[in-house]
Amino acid sequence: MVQETIIIQDIIANDFLTIFISSSLVLVFGGFYVGIYTAVKVGLLKKWAMLFAYIFWILTDYCLYLMGSLMHVNDFTGKALVMAAIGLLLLPHAVYHMQNRVHEENEH
Amino acid sequence: MANNYLTTESKKLATWYFTFAAIIFGAQLVFGLVAAFQYVMPGFLFEIVDFSVARMIHINALVVWMVFAMMGSVYWLLPDETGIETVGIGLGKLLFWVFAAAIVIVVLVYLLVQVGPADQTTIWFINEGREYLEAPRWADIGIVVVVLGFVYNLYATGMKGNRSGIVTVLMADMLAFAGIYLAGMGYTDNISIDQYWWWWVIHLWVEATWEVFVGSIAAYGLITMIGAHRKVVEMWLWIEVAMLFGSGILGIGHHYFWIGTPEYWWEIGALFSALEPLPLVAMFIHVLYDWGKQQGAQEAQGKEVSVIANKPAFTWFVLQALGNFLGAGVWGFFHTFPQVNLYTHGTQFTSAHGHLAFFGAYATILIGMFYIAVQGKHGIKVMHATKKSIWATSMIFGGVLGMTAALTMSGYVQVLVERAQMGASWSGYFDSQASVWFAQGMDWRLIMGIVTFLGFVILVTDLLSIGKATHHER
Repeated sequence: MVQETIIIQDIIANDFLTIFISSSLVLVFGGFYVGIYTAVKVGLLKKWAMLFAYIFWILTDYCLYLMGSLMHVNDFTGKALVMAAIGLLLLPHAVYHMQNRVHEENEH
Repeated sequence: MANNYLTTESKKLATWYFTFAAIIFGAQLVFGLVAAFQYVMPGFLFEIVDFSVARMIHINALVVWMVFAMMGSVYWLLPDETGIETVGIGLGKLLFWVFAAAIVIVVLVYLLVQVGPADQTTIWFINEGREYLEAPRWADIGIVVVVLGFVYNLYATGMKGNRSGIVTVLMADMLAFAGIYLAGMGYTDNISIDQYWWWWVIHLWVEATWEVFVGSIAAYGLITMIGAHRKVVEMWLWIEVAMLFGSGILGIGHHYFWIGTPEYWWEIGALFSALEPLPLVAMFIHVLYDWGKQQGAQEAQGKEVSVIANKPAFTWFVLQALGNFLGAGVWGFFHTFPQVNLYTHGTQFTSAHGHLAFFGAYATILIGMFYIAVQGKHGIKVMHATKKSIWATSMIFGGVLGMTAALTMSGYVQVLVERAQMGASWSGYFDSQASVWFAQGMDWRLIMGIVTFLGFVILVTDLLSIGKATHHER
């Protein structure tokens, strides 16, 4: 009987640098997105800067896509990456909403 | 030095723990330097302190000094959080001496005996041969007894005094922290099964319970150093606990890719590892958010003074947020998927990640706690930085970043030459080690290691002298 084996497709040698850089940028751009969002919400940056926050989120998604494509991730991992991207989009909204509620309850 | 300003025995005990932790921290760096020298000059201390011994002491000292500093941090904050003296403080003091004596004996055995026969006597009296947790069986049992005593102190105090959100989280977290250690104490001659349980200790410590501990300490620091609102900080803490445990526990899958465990761990590891950086981003923003909010509120009242009551400690807390994000987040994320981990596993990439993650996530905040203890010990209201603290911070943080960059460069050579081009073969390994890029990475790692060590020496002199400086507000 032949056992089912998961095969990982080889990564092309020239793609490694792009994979490492793009996966690093996922978190760097993701950090910029959350950071700018927070800075706008607490009044450290003007409201128009929020546009840049969402641009960084889009860049994060592009880097995730690039990284996943070059790594030849399977369908499941591809879905996990999409979930992570959506999670990152929602995270600062949810946290700021709760934060604001707690501030209002305790300071007003 | 007199403890004139320390009003509780718990805080005095905390300073003992911090002092011993700092000594072991120094030992960790010394043996790290020895191992770094050996990569550049393989004959250095050959058959006196071989690489295997230097590395063993380097990584075990890392775990031990951090555990000591963590226990010290809990003893430090308990009276502030609960409003009472720590229950069973006499037991706490006794256990400190037992723990410290056991560690000294274990290190002496590592240095003087080093290796033993391939039977049970080695496991019981020399070392267990498990990375990071090499303490022999007798010391293992001793550690369990010490930690149970520590957990008793924490629970008895938490139940008798005011049980804040921070103390509640710590009570749950420290119980898990202690319980998980038991998973690494069994013996089996099956290496896959051994590694399976060993990762429970390592991963569930550093990517779950230790991270939650750090969240609690950061919450305490934000309340005491910048006057952040307790309810806001504790709400953050609960969110972080949920996110850290939610992603961290099953994130253990990324250690089960290649050790003989079933292949479904690939999917589990990939999914939860992808989510693991989210709480790290949240923790980073948490610190900056609270700082900005408190400073903004101060300035809205027309006061231009800083809200920070301990500048050196707060600097280390901010560096923790950054270092955790970079070391555990960025350096962890880029080799966490099985598709790429197949190539990076066991290369210097792992070492780069390990250095920056352990330092960024834990060493930084524990050094911050050292400064908080110095402030409390000298009765300082607002503690300012000194030239020494600025130099120490810059050199240690810069040195570790430099080591990480150098190790990443060497790891990249291994990925390309040893794994991608030569298929993880015997000759591939040696060709990559002989590469000039790999060798230069090792040279730079040594240089930046020396910078880190010099920074540590300055740090120690600063910790011993900053309390006497005259420019603080008392």
